[in-house]
Amino acid sequence: MNTVSTLEWVERTNLSTAIREGALLYPIIGGFHVLAIALFGGMLVMTDLRLLGWAMQRRTVSEILEPFRMWKRAGFVLVASSGLLLAWAEPLKLYRSTSFWVKVALLASVGVHALVFRNGVYQNAKALDARLTPRAKLAAALSLILWAGLVVTGRLIAFDA
Amino acid sequence: MQGDSFFEWLMTTPWAKAMNGPEWAFPVVESLHFIGLALSVGTIAIVDLRLLGIAMVRQSSSELAADLDIWTRIGLALMLITGPLMFSANAVNYHHNPSLQFKMACLSLALVFHFTMHRRATHPTTPSLLAKFAGLVSLALWICVVAGGRMIAFV
Repeated sequence: MNTVSTLEWVERTNLSTAIREGALLYPIIGGFHVLAIALFGGMLVMTDLRLLGWAMQRRTVSEILEPFRMWKRAGFVLVASSGLLLAWAEPLKLYRSTSFWVKVALLASVGVHALVFRNGVYQNAKALDARLTPRAKLAAALSLILWAGLVVTGRLIAFDA
Repeated sequence: MQGDSFFEWLMTTPWAKAMNGPEWAFPVVESLHFIGLALSVGTIAIVDLRLLGIAMVRQSSSELAADLDIWTRIGLALMLITGPLMFSANAVNYHHNPSLQFKMACLSLALVFHFTMHRRATHPTTPSLLAKFAGLVSLALWICVVAGGRMIAFV
């Protein structure tokens, strides 16, 4: 089975049809996606701004990063699962969208970013309380750039043919 | 339609023309709107969750609100610049859009609430029940703003 016929099969599933053709389902899932971006994005941005030393400096790095961790995870799960449902509704359109493939590449980069920086930076907040390392600042800057790119490509998908 | 002349004029302004010019203009401004959303509503939600007593409990609401305030304001500024830009691009249609009208009503309430009662609720002397109530109202108002915004494209 080739890719296009697989995606055609996805589009014929009940779930895909229901989201695509129902009047309310698509905007509701889209609404969840955006709300999750607000919640998750807000915590992500504040985490990275703290790591850069630009925000919330009255508190140590670990005092900011540790309580945000659970919320960021929950937000990520919400963003990713609602995004997956939206993608499930129109896989052929996405397959032909350049922005979508850039977004997939950025998501893969987020995965690589986590592999590279998780142990040294995000899970190592206590050690950063004493001194913000250049590595932590690099991780934060890259994270902000990657997530901004994900927002931009996500929006661009809607404008691709 | 009578009464649309202001909105027709808005669409002839240089910034509206710029928005309707290159293909990438609208999505790029919309993306900035989303980044502003994460900053503004995101940081307000953090304070709301603190008021509700379910996040960042090691810090006081007042300290958290004070530290996040500048970022909330930067986010709000970004929203209040990019939002009207997008509105101008298609003002006549947007001003008849019920989702946009709903969003603007909720936004007015949310902003007034934010700079009055929400701010006061973060004071250390506020009774805990009142603080929780303020957090809940704030969350509900901003969720309505975001949901109304999302629905603009679908009505």
